[in-house]
Amino acid sequence: MRSKNVVYLILILGLLSVYNLIFAQDAPEVSEKGKEVYEESCAHCHGTEGRGDGSAAENLLPQPRDFTRGLYKIRSTESGQLPTDQDLFDIITEGMPGSSMPGWETSLKADERWEVVAYIKTFYDGFKESETPPRQISLEGKIPYSEESIEIGKGLYTQFACFECHGQVGRGDGTSAPTLQDEWGFQSWPANLAQGWNFRGGNDIDDIYKRFIGGIAGSAMPMFEDPAFGLTIEQSIRYNELDNKVEMTEAEEEEYNQLDEKMGNAFEILDLMAEGSADEEQKQSYATAMKAFYEKSWHLANYVKSLSSEKRPEPAIGKNVLRSQYTEDDLPQIMDAAWDTLDSSYFPLVGQIIIEPRQFNPTIDSVNAKSFYNDTEVAFLFTWDDRTNNTEVKENEDTGKTFEDAIAIQFPVKIPKSPTAEKPYFLWGGRKAVYLWEWKASAADKITELTAKGINNAEEQEIQGDLQVEGKYTDGQYNLWIKRALKTDDKKDLQLEPGVFVPIAFSAWDGANGDVGTKRVISSWYSFVLEPVPSSRRFIYPPLVALLSFGLLVGLREFVRQRNT
Amino acid sequence: MKTKMLTCLTLLLACGFGLFVFADSHEKEEDMNKLVFPKAYKTTAVSNGGKISGVVKFDGEVPEMKKLEITKDKAVCGVTDKFDEALVVGEGNVLKNTIVYLMDISQGKDFDKEAKPELDQKNCRFNPHVQLIPVGTALTVLNNDKATHNVHIFGTSKNNTSVNKQQTKNRKKMRLTGAKGAEGPVEVKCDIHGWMKAWVAYVPHPYFAVTNEKGEFTLEDVPPGDYKLGYWHEACGTNNKEPVKVTVAAGGEVKQDFTLKLKEAK
Repeated sequence: MRSKNVVYLILILGLLSVYNLIFAQDAPEVSEKGKEVYEESCAHCHGTEGRGDGSAAENLLPQPRDFTRGLYKIRSTESGQLPTDQDLFDIITEGMPGSSMPGWETSLKADERWEVVAYIKTFYDGFKESETPPRQISLEGKIPYSEESIEIGKGLYTQFACFECHGQVGRGDGTSAPTLQDEWGFQSWPANLAQGWNFRGGNDIDDIYKRFIGGIAGSAMPMFEDPAFGLTIEQSIRYNELDNKVEMTEAEEEEYNQLDEKMGNAFEILDLMAEGSADEEQKQSYATAMKAFYEKSWHLANYVKSLSSEKRPEPAIGKNVLRSQYTEDDLPQIMDAAWDTLDSSYFPLVGQIIIEPRQFNPTIDSVNAKSFYNDTEVAFLFTWDDRTNNTEVKENEDTGKTFEDAIAIQFPVKIPKSPTAEKPYFLWGGRKAVYLWEWKASAADKITELTAKGINNAEEQEIQGDLQVEGKYTDGQYNLWIKRALKTDDKKDLQLEPGVFVPIAFSAWDGANGDVGTKRVISSWYSFVLEPVPSSRRFIYPPLVALLSFGLLVGLREFVRQRNT
Repeated sequence: MKTKMLTCLTLLLACGFGLFVFADSHEKEEDMNKLVFPKAYKTTAVSNGGKISGVVKFDGEVPEMKKLEITKDKAVCGVTDKFDEALVVGEGNVLKNTIVYLMDISQGKDFDKEAKPELDQKNCRFNPHVQLIPVGTALTVLNNDKATHNVHIFGTSKNNTSVNKQQTKNRKKMRLTGAKGAEGPVEVKCDIHGWMKAWVAYVPHPYFAVTNEKGEFTLEDVPPGDYKLGYWHEACGTNNKEPVKVTVAAGGEVKQDFTLKLKEAK
């Protein structure tokens, strides 16, 4: 009987939790508990008064949210609206990728997170005053993800002027990127759309769509409006085409003017709608125009989604270790198509926060690497995203001092005998020295070989010039090509042999982010290996051995038979 | 040992307390850079009202206006030279773009219903640099450029009224309904062209004026009475701490000049 009760209880609880998952919840009444949890877990960054000025706030960028202003970046609601309770709960639960806000799913119980939601809302009176719940963005009319939709979205990316900040191919390198600030006056880099795993509000297509429609409050990301409002997708493509023509025929001019007028009318109705003074007919045409706008936005969301892999790539360990591929031919040059045949190895980078000056707010996510070798030489292609191309030290009143971009590739001076043997200290060595290739954006065809016994203790090697190098910056991305002989005469250099695992690590500097000296992004040790070629002798020796053993067996049998007779 | 620990603890607590007090004193700082509005305002017919006028001057060494660096869309934006308009001083040290207003007026005339506040974007410059918007009136934003702008009106600590809307070259005109209550001045920015800056103030009554090139301002039809006269200037701050007291007689005219200095750098 008792066990039956327990089963019922579990069933009810289970149903309840499913209910919770399905239906968005509202925060409970404000409680002492919420305050307690907030002060214990949130106040260090967000401050006891919720002003985003906790003791740890100073070093953080993006800065912790100031809850007293009621401005929330990541919402499922329309522009100018407050977030829903569920929005706040989701952010607390999942955190904000690419910022210092962690997810609290494991460290706070769900009811504790709800209590915190209720408490956070007390910092801003607007939550109390608003009588109606915030208007949510409708996800109706979602367009399935397809090649065709992506292609349409790509065209709209230009029409919607996304490139102004996010760059031509979306790496966050638009011409407006360096001067963007949030409303608090802090630098605010546009998202690198090729790194969806760093999107603050998630990188589901729905998430991306919500950011277009609702904007990101307080940041430079505006609420989007259809630049060709009132026109269908086909019409807006046509309008853009005509608009870019240097000369139009009379017929084209007429067509253009018609579209222009249609758009002008639609914009006028848009304003009337906002003011609440549109008549029935205008409301009708507004609804039609909005439908087209939402359609366009879904295509755009699909395109943005297509720019990035679903998840952060797996780091270069285990089977992802950087394996240099053997080739009998000459090694490829920097832009050769041969590189496209290789998968890249992903080396995640983090801010250097051990030695002052530190980098708490890194902007370079990672370095990607590929490599080929032949009988005498090895070539590498290192690729990393950087929103700006900084080739010199510059003083700028608005954006502060910027430095030059750079990268350093690090190996141990002595290759450890086994993978488990002790390596030099990962931060440019210590007691055990490291060997470095340092490249700076100011001299794209020059690379310096260094030996270091500590982050502030590096020396240029006497013999330079063993390396060939070429660096290129395009569309928010650096490509660095390095070629070298497998063996060099310089005793201090790294000597390479197929099959030997060589530790490799990186330092990189984004000059626009104030990176210089120890202020940089770094990786720990990873490995790279010249993937050994299975030797051609495998076709000779094994059959030979088999033949010999067979002969031996035959001989043995003969011998035994003769002795017996 | 124990006493030592106790002392340390007390000290720590004291420090923490000190920090709290310090943090609280910060709170009002933002208000010092904003306008002061009456709690309520009633419109009535004003007959035989008085007039307050004067000239605002700048006191101090006049820095050379900084020429803004045009970093993009040069074909459109680079056509004219642009300068940082935070401090525009004319001949005779007269100061443009100062808001002069009555802080504590509780009743008086209605807004000029014909007035339509307009913010122009031409060659990637906002014009005017400082303007007043009656609460509830839409701001018409013009795009006279073959370029995409985004009109970003900042929010303040009190109201969740940040507006940020893109305005592509296709949209020549757009009306923005901003704050529902009095606030400001708040910054207006085009993030795409980072140098484009302006200010708007959402005002609850018409007794506000912005000084012209000659530094002049006029407030008309002021009901007779005693008032506090305030000012706001982007670079010089406010006189919220010590407003000027004026007495307006029926049909009378009060002359009140101001001399402003640069805000102390924080």
